[in-house]
Amino acid sequence: MIKLSKTKVNKLRIKGRTPVLIGLVVLSISIIFPLFFILMTSLKNNVDYSRDPFGLPDTLMLENYSSLLDNFNIGRAFLNSLFVCTITVALVLLIAGMAGYALAKLSVPGGRFITGTFLGVMLFPGPVLIIPIYVLLARLGLIGDVKGLILVYVASGIPFATFFLTLVFKSIPKEITEAAQIDGAGFFRTLRSIIAPLGASGVITLAIMQFLGAWNELLFAFMILPSETSRLLTPTLATIGTRYVSDQPLVSAGLFISASLPLIILMFASKYIIEGLQVTIKKN
Amino acid sequence: MSKKPSNTATDFFIPLKKKINQRERRIAALAVAPAVLLVFFFTIIPVFIAFVISFFKTNGLTYTWRGLDNYFRFVDDPVVHQALSNTIKFLFSVPLVISFALLVAVLLFEKIRGWQYFRVIFFIPNVLSVAVVGIMVKSIFGYYGPVNKIIEYFGNEPIQFFVDGSKAFWIIVFALVWAGFGYQALLLLAGLTSINPEILEAAALDGAGWWRRLWQVTIPSIRRILGFVFIINVLYTFGGIFGFIFVMTAGGPGFDTTTVDYLVYLRAFSSSNLGSGAALAVMLFLVIGAITLLQTKFFRISEDD
Repeated sequence: MIKLSKTKVNKLRIKGRTPVLIGLVVLSISIIFPLFFILMTSLKNNVDYSRDPFGLPDTLMLENYSSLLDNFNIGRAFLNSLFVCTITVALVLLIAGMAGYALAKLSVPGGRFITGTFLGVMLFPGPVLIIPIYVLLARLGLIGDVKGLILVYVASGIPFATFFLTLVFKSIPKEITEAAQIDGAGFFRTLRSIIAPLGASGVITLAIMQFLGAWNELLFAFMILPSETSRLLTPTLATIGTRYVSDQPLVSAGLFISASLPLIILMFASKYIIEGLQVTIKKN
Repeated sequence: MSKKPSNTATDFFIPLKKKINQRERRIAALAVAPAVLLVFFFTIIPVFIAFVISFFKTNGLTYTWRGLDNYFRFVDDPVVHQALSNTIKFLFSVPLVISFALLVAVLLFEKIRGWQYFRVIFFIPNVLSVAVVGIMVKSIFGYYGPVNKIIEYFGNEPIQFFVDGSKAFWIIVFALVWAGFGYQALLLLAGLTSINPEILEAAALDGAGWWRRLWQVTIPSIRRILGFVFIINVLYTFGGIFGFIFVMTAGGPGFDTTTVDYLVYLRAFSSSNLGSGAALAVMLFLVIGAITLLQTKFFRISEDD
């Protein structure tokens, strides 16, 4: 955590606070208003919307939501996404946790090279990988298989996750892990009962970031799970959004369903999410 | 650089230590193995596969050797030229995003009461999917959407934003700015917070006004983080716009908003030649690699001064 130094400079400028507040409020409205607008639109029907997109809905209509559930299988897509993201996060935490602990506290042969490679791999752009990964998964018979997508998500999450956890675990005093080793605790024991609890806030931050990343991913989800029954939420929304342009309330309801979980997570875990930023800066 | 511990006093224990070290190294190697293998098979190997495929004409089933033909064809392929120039045009969004981010960062840095809540609000776009942001912006600029209602209110005809390439372009830029400025503001804010407050105080005592302090003290002090934000934006423009294009315009009208990364997708899944897409992907990879190398060099230089 960065210490928020309350500088005296700030105090020198007390009279300048109103413009600052106004600036922040205006910019915040630019963020919040579109979301509020989408929420309101999702509660109208199409006729009301085209008459007056700005008006508040007369009665709260949930028909767009029920239509998404009944006709577009959005409930199933939601659960599919939840499943894929949960498994992805669990695997990433396990695999990157082991690697991060080893890189932070043990002497890994070629450790510097591994860290360097992972840092480089993080810059690989997704579009470069779509064709070869598609070909690779097709060979393995994993197109249309949730396992294929999870594999891709886990593999693409690991470089950052390992890097992040290495930093988190490095800040745990060496004396503590060494004491555990002297007491005869093995690798997993130390990882589970010393490293993980002491690095808990970093681990939670990482879990949230990975979850959101997988939840919001579009390209691979669209490509690897094309069938209607196994499709995830984000690609389902993208399909509805591009096909039903003339039914904005329906599209808005879809948007709101997709956005709801990330927004709830941000509301309750903003501290952890924003903490994750500091590590991105350390990378710099 | 980590210093090697002097081992004069521990010489006596070396045989035992060596044994423990060997065991520890084995365990450590096993612990990183799954991560290394996954990254190797699903990111490093695929880049090689892309290289190989780019030398063939292929639909994924049959392969015909083409040598560098896929690359040579780009020279007189108008769609590739357009995609390249579109991608470069989208670099316009970079100074826009950074200006807004800097504005927000500077405002937040005043640390007025409740600034932490504003920080959370500015983080919202960053937790949303590109698909959500893209479709939302598209709805707002839709024919029956709110922007057109405002235009009508002032007595003008509603505009079909997405049938005009340059309008569609600016709307995508708008989406990029909306999605990016809050997060980057928080990155810059972290940079601002690490400035030594005494420097700012000294400048204030010397009679430098708010604007002068901003331009001559604050911004120069965060030039490294500004450089970092600049680079991630440029990289994003080359490899991350795909999602916005996909949900907002599908590259249209015509190829007016088709970027290189979107063209890779188009070539991959709507033509019979994966090789051409792979060749484009390889070019994209090389460009991004070059930018990254330049960046590290640039930062080396600025660290020296």
